[in-house]
Amino acid sequence: MPVAFDRVRPTVVWIALAVALLVPALASGSLYLLTTASIALVFMIYSEAWNFLAASGQGSLGHAAFFGLGAYASALTASRFGLPPALTILFGGLFAAGIGLLIGLTCVRLKEWFLAMVTFGFAIIIQTLMVSQFAGISGGWDGTAAPALVPSSVPFAPYVQYYLVLAVLIVVLLVFRRLLRGRVGLAFAAIRENEVEARASGIDPVRYRLFAFGLSACVAGIAGALEIHQFGYVTPEVFGTDISFWPIIYSISGGLGTLAGPLVGTVAVTVLWEGLRGVGLTYARFVIVGLLLILTVIFLPSGLVSLPRRFQAWRRQVEKGEADVPVSDAEIG
Amino acid sequence: MAIDVSTLLQILFWGLYAGCIYILLATGVNLIFGVMKTVNFAHGELLMIGAYVTWTLFSLTGLNPYLLLVATVPVLLLFGIAVQRLAFRPVLGSHKLNEIFLSIGLIYLFQNGAAMIWGGDYQSLRSPFESIAFDIGSFRLPLDYVIIIAVTVAILVGLQLLLRRTRLGLALRATSQNRKAAMLSGINVERMDMLAFGLGAALAGAAGTLWAVSGQVFDPYMGSVPAVKAFAIVILGGLGSIPGAIIGGLFYGVAESAATFTLGGAWKDAISFVVLIVVLVIRPTGLFGERGE
Amino acid sequence: MRTALIAIVIGLLLVMACFAGCTQQSVPAAGLKLGVVASMTGPASTTGKDVWQSAQLAADEINARGGVFVKSLGKNVTIQLVQGDDESTREGGIKAVTKMITDDKVDVLTGGFSSAVVTAHESIVADHGVPYIITGASSSTVTRRTDINTSTMFHHAPITDASASQTTIFVDEVMRPAINAKFGRPADQPLHLAVIYQDSPFGKGALDAIKATIAAKGLKIQLVAEEPYKMGETDYRTTLTSVKAKGPDVVYPIAFLNEEVPMLTQARRDVGLNTIFLAVECVDDPDYYKGLGQYGDYSIIESRFSAYAVPKGSINANVGEYQKDYIARFNASPGMMGAATYEGVYIAAAALEKAGTTDQAALLSAIGSIQVPEMVESMRNGTISFGNQYHESQFNLFMEQLRWDAATQTLRPKIVWPAELKETEFQIPDWYRPGGV
Repeated sequence: MPVAFDRVRPTVVWIALAVALLVPALASGSLYLLTTASIALVFMIYSEAWNFLAASGQGSLGHAAFFGLGAYASALTASRFGLPPALTILFGGLFAAGIGLLIGLTCVRLKEWFLAMVTFGFAIIIQTLMVSQFAGISGGWDGTAAPALVPSSVPFAPYVQYYLVLAVLIVVLLVFRRLLRGRVGLAFAAIRENEVEARASGIDPVRYRLFAFGLSACVAGIAGALEIHQFGYVTPEVFGTDISFWPIIYSISGGLGTLAGPLVGTVAVTVLWEGLRGVGLTYARFVIVGLLLILTVIFLPSGLVSLPRRFQAWRRQVEKGEADVPVSDAEIG
Repeated sequence: MAIDVSTLLQILFWGLYAGCIYILLATGVNLIFGVMKTVNFAHGELLMIGAYVTWTLFSLTGLNPYLLLVATVPVLLLFGIAVQRLAFRPVLGSHKLNEIFLSIGLIYLFQNGAAMIWGGDYQSLRSPFESIAFDIGSFRLPLDYVIIIAVTVAILVGLQLLLRRTRLGLALRATSQNRKAAMLSGINVERMDMLAFGLGAALAGAAGTLWAVSGQVFDPYMGSVPAVKAFAIVILGGLGSIPGAIIGGLFYGVAESAATFTLGGAWKDAISFVVLIVVLVIRPTGLFGERGE
Repeated sequence: MRTALIAIVIGLLLVMACFAGCTQQSVPAAGLKLGVVASMTGPASTTGKDVWQSAQLAADEINARGGVFVKSLGKNVTIQLVQGDDESTREGGIKAVTKMITDDKVDVLTGGFSSAVVTAHESIVADHGVPYIITGASSSTVTRRTDINTSTMFHHAPITDASASQTTIFVDEVMRPAINAKFGRPADQPLHLAVIYQDSPFGKGALDAIKATIAAKGLKIQLVAEEPYKMGETDYRTTLTSVKAKGPDVVYPIAFLNEEVPMLTQARRDVGLNTIFLAVECVDDPDYYKGLGQYGDYSIIESRFSAYAVPKGSINANVGEYQKDYIARFNASPGMMGAATYEGVYIAAAALEKAGTTDQAALLSAIGSIQVPEMVESMRNGTISFGNQYHESQFNLFMEQLRWDAATQTLRPKIVWPAELKETEFQIPDWYRPGGV
């Protein structure tokens, strides 16, 4: 896993921002592309949330639980009490955060695999509960309606929607950047690498882990609410394992623990996914994605964002005349 | 509603059968964890592959599926060894999370690979003994389930013999108890990793075969729910503890059956997980404690 | 080198832009563009393929006959199908439908299978006012939603209520008297019915409809068991043991194919529940017959289209021909969803002719008031029409009894009800025990 939070040159950030702002124009009036882009943005927010949690050494395999809980909380309060989505989305995030803290409390002292198993199972529990015990409130398998994020009465509604989600993404990125570059990020790194030593230097892993859990669940809940208000309808499929696994795939292929990783990963894998669909592969698409994940973990653990640096290090080696010596992770830094 | 004894016995019996499958799965997970100190999240997919392999062999040869166990188990053993060597060994020593994420990739690979090879539709198998049953009063004992329980017991006994009476078993146990010491005393721990994974896969494969033979339908995606239950059992019984897996598996099978009978089938899965949460809150290391790190 | 990162990002965007261009289908202007929502990938892909193929068959038949005459253009136009793969997921459905409406600019939509997937993309259809002839989705919500305008939705598939209701009537009208007569019970003895239902709106909706029908028509049926199970369950032994203890005369599972097959097999083989099982139309597929084998002998399916049965009466010739043509062209048996979609395409064509123009409002009005003679599925009054309040066409559902042929080792259906469609009489097997003993 990458140790340091990488620093991206400002020029790159500005270009990326410009591109993001111009996407609706590039979509040349195709609502389909714009919708795909908006959904991709939502998944970037979601992946950032998962990634933040993973940075603290906790790999959740059931983040769909928070994504879905945020979605449901927002949809239900919006349609029952007629509150504007902007408000209910925040509520959805807070609700998911609350549940996240509860789960965190059970797992935070235990090893990684406990968290993984519990979160894995928790998403299924939540889904089961939603369709049986809470069916009266949630509408069971039928689901429930959610008012649109931007009512269609607003001119250029799809564009407004896109920019709104983009704004949320930028806010999320700024918040995470602040945290990961500061004390929190250092604490995370310490806890991740060696918990005993971290404790010895006065860092309380439990407190930081809980914090990571709560914030990650909150942002994931916000992402879920954002998606659902775009769809206009929420059903229990939102708690499915594929929803839990996508942020993992995006973050790892992009670069686990980095800020740019989930963004790059989401774009790369989405393009690959849509492109493969055009070729007409059904199951093969998933096989390829699975292989991508496996190969990335084995051969490129720092993800796609580490490619430039690897290339750079390799070039340095070539210049020094040591092209045959394999580049170690330490040299990449 | 008057519940007579034979109905209760019947419910218990079905619970016992379900427990057998869970025991085999959970034991495999614990075996792998004990040696490799990692949880294989793609374990349910190994169950699924076991079912499909038996089904393929059955379609080709028409032999008794129980006999085909003799073929399926080695196939899964080798498969498990290969997976460990190719996928898990390269990430050994890196952060634990990497192994977890690797398993996720394997899930996608196995599920959809299976769908590509065998198609995404549901399949089922017919046992040649399916019409034979023993009726004791109104308590009905189909032969297949008796065989399944017997086979499970046999496998567990065999495993115990392997672990306690052979040098290989000794090496496995040594590796799981103290890896460094095992290495120092000349045990090839990397080989132990492969063997443990292979055995875990073989157990899952046997479970898959028994699942299929009992007439439960299977498709490429059926592995995830049994896997989650296996994890719950493993946590309940204690990570790394094989006796814990056995008792936990039995308990789960019967609890599910009882829950279905009293609360209705919709509660079946939820009950397992509620038990899991209660255990985690009260005694996070499970009934038999956590072995290893 | 940061420029490498820039290059990657720009490269990816170029690729995306390329897709924008590549996926723009250049379709000729004239003609009726009909979007077909089919699950070409994902768990429902077998049904999706059936839906798409039947649509193709219908469109090709219509075009071969010269197309549809459009008055405002003064000439015949062809039907052009556009495929929309919903990937069996809500997101996939939304993406596919959005693309068909905004990029391909379809005039009418048809198809749809999963109620959940359809409800997710309905709001887009409603926003653009596109007529949608939904030929799948058993949930009544698709045309009865209160949060969006469903006036452009037309439901050409029986809702769960109708299927359950018809089956319950059959139980009282045919099964109860037959059982009472065979076992010397008084003619007015009520029948003990057990319902094993999927824990979902599909299952619960059917259960409610069963109860409502019994109450409304004063049927002599007593519900002795109501057992829910989780969707996708494979082990029914405990549930069946519980049901057996309550002594039912007939068991009515509300289940999907992959659930009913193990349920029935385990009931007859393991639990010894020797009774007659009913089934909902969604199981009527060759895989069901293959999966059940001898254990399906004498069981019942409520259906409206079967690959193996041809109803007597007015649609007899049509069904035979449709099956023949489908098998000849696609080398596979036609399915129920496909049959409805086949009719959906014809409905769209008829509406176009009636409207005389491709104008959206005219098409909507035409579909709403159309009367199309029944084709391969039996309809009430022999016509397909959406005149009722919720734009639901009314089907004439029939009941099949399955019989096992030991010689050929096959299980095949025979229609036993209603009288105008039936091929043979309902029979009670020798191994049957009332009260499930």
